[in-house]
Amino acid sequence: MSAAPVLPSAAEGVAREAQRQRALLAAIDDAPFDTAALALAGDASRRAAGLDAYRGNAAMLAERALKAVYPTVAAMLGAEAFGRLARMFWREHPPCRGDLGAWGDGFAEALEANAALAEWPYVADGARLDLAIHRCERAADASFEPASLDLLASVDPALLRVRLMPGSAALASAWPIATIHAAHRHDAGGFEAARAAIAARTGECVWVARDGWRALVHRIDAPAWEWNRRLLDGPDLAAALDVAPPGFDFGAWLADAVRLRWLRDVVQVDR
Amino acid sequence: MSVRPPSATAPGVGIGLRQPHYRQVVEGVAALGFVEVHSENFFADGGAALAVLRETRARYPVSLHGVGLALGSAAGVDPWHLDRLERLVQRIDPVRVSDHASFARIAGPAGTVHGADLLPIPFSDAALGILALNVETVQERLRRPLLIENLSAYVGFDDDAIDEAEFFARLCRRTGCGLLLDVNNLMVNAINATERRPAEALARCRAFIDALPAGIVGEIHVAGYDDAGVLAIDDHGSRVRPDVWTLCEHALRRFGPLPVLVEWDTDVPPLDVLLDEAARAARLVEAATPMPEPV
Repeated sequence: MSAAPVLPSAAEGVAREAQRQRALLAAIDDAPFDTAALALAGDASRRAAGLDAYRGNAAMLAERALKAVYPTVAAMLGAEAFGRLARMFWREHPPCRGDLGAWGDGFAEALEANAALAEWPYVADGARLDLAIHRCERAADASFEPASLDLLASVDPALLRVRLMPGSAALASAWPIATIHAAHRHDAGGFEAARAAIAARTGECVWVARDGWRALVHRIDAPAWEWNRRLLDGPDLAAALDVAPPGFDFGAWLADAVRLRWLRDVVQVDR
Repeated sequence: MSVRPPSATAPGVGIGLRQPHYRQVVEGVAALGFVEVHSENFFADGGAALAVLRETRARYPVSLHGVGLALGSAAGVDPWHLDRLERLVQRIDPVRVSDHASFARIAGPAGTVHGADLLPIPFSDAALGILALNVETVQERLRRPLLIENLSAYVGFDDDAIDEAEFFARLCRRTGCGLLLDVNNLMVNAINATERRPAEALARCRAFIDALPAGIVGEIHVAGYDDAGVLAIDDHGSRVRPDVWTLCEHALRRFGPLPVLVEWDTDVPPLDVLLDEAARAARLVEAATPMPEPV
């Protein structure tokens, strides 16, 4: 009589599958992998063709997903260079979520660290602007509450918070990132101005906020940038005014913030 | 907990909602049984895409078809993903929720990685156990059954031990989920397995369909595939091939009228082309009468 086969326990089976799954992802990534754990069927050429199909898909996805988040950087670098960088970023910083729209954080830092891009130091800040726009356009929907402005006249500013639209972002760069962005995205005639601003190392402060479904890039002055950035931290209005930059005019800012749809509402906070 | 069994929802023919057709679909130019979307494309907190989906939902039933749950992953289901999916289900009240019998998540030395692809799992007891556990986790959370799609796989495994149709039958029996039968995926696998012997490939696919228990299939997918390279690839980038229509018809005769989705994800054509494909599918659904159960 032959002995009964020894079946793996459920836990052993899960561990074995986990090992196989790590091996398959490594094989697709062209990294060293455990051939025995993977246990692919078929002859060598069939196995290679199968892995190549997955590799091709990963390369295409890397480029497409990153281009959706960083369209200006893709335009700045051109398809070939951007594709190469996207594939490298995929290997070094692979997605951790099943939503590729949530992948791509850290690309600006990767560009900054890339010696081949040292000649174009503004590309990394361009990526930061692209990411801010992408996040803004995926942020929660909200509408301006004009009646909430009445609180400004009736409540102690120490008990008020001025809330900006969800997804808004403040960026400051030593480079003309808004001018470069405009040239690539909607102002083809702006390249000459962008080149001149880069040559003059003209820094820009930028505010990103949604108008309807689209995020708009506003060039703002340094005091407004400082004020907006501070408001994003959520201080009460009195505290924010206490440290407002010299020359800052809250009334003028409020009128602009309403007109440009940066402002969500004013809310009373508990003390 | 108890989940509702896969319901015999009213059959109809649907198309995938893709960005180039947003405006036309929202305006209701197409007579469709349902509209399918990839769930993950609507995971954002807000924004234009979600607004389009809400408007679409006001006109059509919507089927949420996921590509990222990675239900075959030994690392389990991502709680973040499940949170987002649950929120989307609550927002849209879909007619069906589905995903694939595939893995993508691994726990690596530097944290969890998601391969962002529909990667194959072996047809084994261990893989079935993992898949069933993950399907149950999602169904418990959503309080509704899932449909799980059979995969087009470009690699297989030495230790495949269970016939694929039997694998899905066991999964459905164990978890109460249904099968989303993608006949294009069947065809692509069969073409690659038979090294492009069309008659043999079709026979394999028919045998798969005939081996499935009646009542587990909740939806059928058709699409185009690319047969120009070393392997046939399920690229959803062209009209449905005649052999895939043949299989769709065979499945509808076997199971009776079921919802059919025409998938087209790359090189998306004008809406009229998709609607033409959908009209062909609708004729097959209308003509479908179930065959007697094989004895």
